[in-house]
Amino acid sequence: MIRSTLTIAGKDLRLAFAGGQGPVQAILLGLLLVFLFSLSAAPGDLFSSQQGMAIFWLCSSFAVVLIFSLLFRFEEENDTATALILSPAPIQSLWLGKTLAGAILLGLCQIFFFLAAVVFLSLDVQGSPALLLLMIVSVDVGLCVLGGLMGAMGHGQGAKDTLLTIILFPLQVPLLLGGIRIGTEVLYGALAVDVAQWFGLILAFDAVFSGAALFLFSHVFRGE
Amino acid sequence: MSEAEPLLRLSQVGHFFGSRLIFKGVSCTLDQGQIMLVAGPNGAGKSTLLKVMAGLLEPTAGVVTRQVAHKNMAFMGHQTFVYAAMTALANLEFWNALYGRGLKEKAIIDLLDRVGLKGFALELAGTFSRGMAQRLSLARVLLIEPELIFLDEPATGLDRASQAILHGELTMARQRGAGIVWISHDLERDLGQADMLLYLNRGQMSYYGPGADFDLEEQA
Amino acid sequence: MPISSRFLVVLACLAALSMLLGQYFIWFYAPEELTMGVVQKIFYLHLPLAWWAFMAFLGVFVASVMVLWTKNEKWDLWAGVLAEVGVLFCGLALVTGSIWGRASWNTWWTWDPRLSTTLVMWFVYAGYLLLRGAGVGGVKGATIRAVLGIVAFLDVPLVFLSARLWRSIHPTVFAAQGGGLEPEMWVTVWVNAVAWGVLFIVLAVARIHNQTLAHRIDYILARFRDTTLQHKE
Repeated sequence: MIRSTLTIAGKDLRLAFAGGQGPVQAILLGLLLVFLFSLSAAPGDLFSSQQGMAIFWLCSSFAVVLIFSLLFRFEEENDTATALILSPAPIQSLWLGKTLAGAILLGLCQIFFFLAAVVFLSLDVQGSPALLLLMIVSVDVGLCVLGGLMGAMGHGQGAKDTLLTIILFPLQVPLLLGGIRIGTEVLYGALAVDVAQWFGLILAFDAVFSGAALFLFSHVFRGE
Repeated sequence: MSEAEPLLRLSQVGHFFGSRLIFKGVSCTLDQGQIMLVAGPNGAGKSTLLKVMAGLLEPTAGVVTRQVAHKNMAFMGHQTFVYAAMTALANLEFWNALYGRGLKEKAIIDLLDRVGLKGFALELAGTFSRGMAQRLSLARVLLIEPELIFLDEPATGLDRASQAILHGELTMARQRGAGIVWISHDLERDLGQADMLLYLNRGQMSYYGPGADFDLEEQA
Repeated sequence: MPISSRFLVVLACLAALSMLLGQYFIWFYAPEELTMGVVQKIFYLHLPLAWWAFMAFLGVFVASVMVLWTKNEKWDLWAGVLAEVGVLFCGLALVTGSIWGRASWNTWWTWDPRLSTTLVMWFVYAGYLLLRGAGVGGVKGATIRAVLGIVAFLDVPLVFLSARLWRSIHPTVFAAQGGGLEPEMWVTVWVNAVAWGVLFIVLAVARIHNQTLAHRIDYILARFRDTTLQHKE
């Protein structure tokens, strides 16, 4: 299971960066969003940490859609999906491999998003960077777990896969709220008591949807 | 695995898409070293039957039993199963890892040599012609060293040389004891090589028996 | 299972009667609330609508699980129908809730966990209906829709918790709702809940009825085309 997961994640990263493309589309879209939002403040006005974090997570949320649509598109060109399903690798390792590759690509995108937020929105970290990183990783897990499942649903649907985002975005709400709230407090450097509760909620989201995806993926990604 | 047990056995297998009947009542067996040809008019459900045999689709009726593990089965169809943005070598290395074959790079290059692609090992598969991509797909099949092979008209659109390589490798696989199920469009060409023939027509198995006894005129 | 039209008519009449009874209770039985006056009566629509919307979404979840479990596409039909009625009721609950909020807290919208959860659920299931209408999934459509139905419902408690946490550091705009109801008011709530429940069942059964007929027509048309095609050959 672990070996085939890593094999698939490795292959997907290799394909993602083949031709120098990588998650460039997701990064560019995110940078564009940050730039556009920076126009929403009058010159000289400062963005609040909460606004900054909200824009950061909005970019991440869009990036997840683009990344997983890319990762599952790889399997469409010559119907390699069928070959993967027929392989001895457990079907769950396909989902896990893609989720892992997606998380790495998302993390890469977020470096750019964060830097852009610092530059354009004057974001400033006064609290613990380690806590910020921990929060981003735990929210990313949930985003990618759900993104991987949704990507598999969009597989082989042609243009219809974009419709799935209509349901994906509202499903992400608890994660995004958590990310914004913890992020805001870390940026201020003043932690309120509810940070632990928010972490609990985010981890619960990760656990519930990891379990669901492990079980549901084999129904979604199968031969036809 | 006992000698008597066939590699593949279908009993009263049927398949529906929703309420639409594709085929029903298909029963057959495939022994080691046998080639079974699957034929029939367009839309008779040959590809669906092959997918059911390979375990890609669950049959809606009947039972499919295979004496072969997943890692010893191979499937080759019209689609080449090739990652266009990776080199020929990287493609095979991926399947090598996923199937847990543990072949060294040298052995993989030898496989590419067998299908005549040695000089193209480091070229992107996306630049290949259909014939070359299908040869790469054949190399993937050889890498698996399958005991059970499913072929969905792999020769379609192939040049003569690639067809010859394909037939040569299949003959060798059969001599090793592999069982082969093969969908054919060209019965006159392929019937001579087959041990058994399964003819699908209008959702039914209208003929199942030795290829030599088959009368195409009668079926038409 | 074909549902007879006569049964449906009886059920519809029952729904009409119980709705009338509900209205009687609202206007003539329940006392007028002192501070809010007559506007408070929208509460008797709002609460049953919200309850039945939630029941509908629970139904979508159960039917979706059954699709995966039994592989019987009949359940897929039920999931779709319940989602339709659920989105309708949920939308009405949002509108009535907003009007009520305007009257009682002087704002059309507030970050109340229940209200926010209802809104997010409305988004999720409206999206779900859109996906159904667009025919997402192809051959494995029923399975894809079932997975969406399950995932959507798993999200509900998480959305509720997050909305509650989100609000917790803001000052509460209002005292907890639902408290301080007169016994007559509760009776009225229950009568209306039952009335809306009957209407809910009528709508669901009617939709199932015509979806089943639509499927049968599709099937007959497909058979017809197959045979004409074979004759041409």
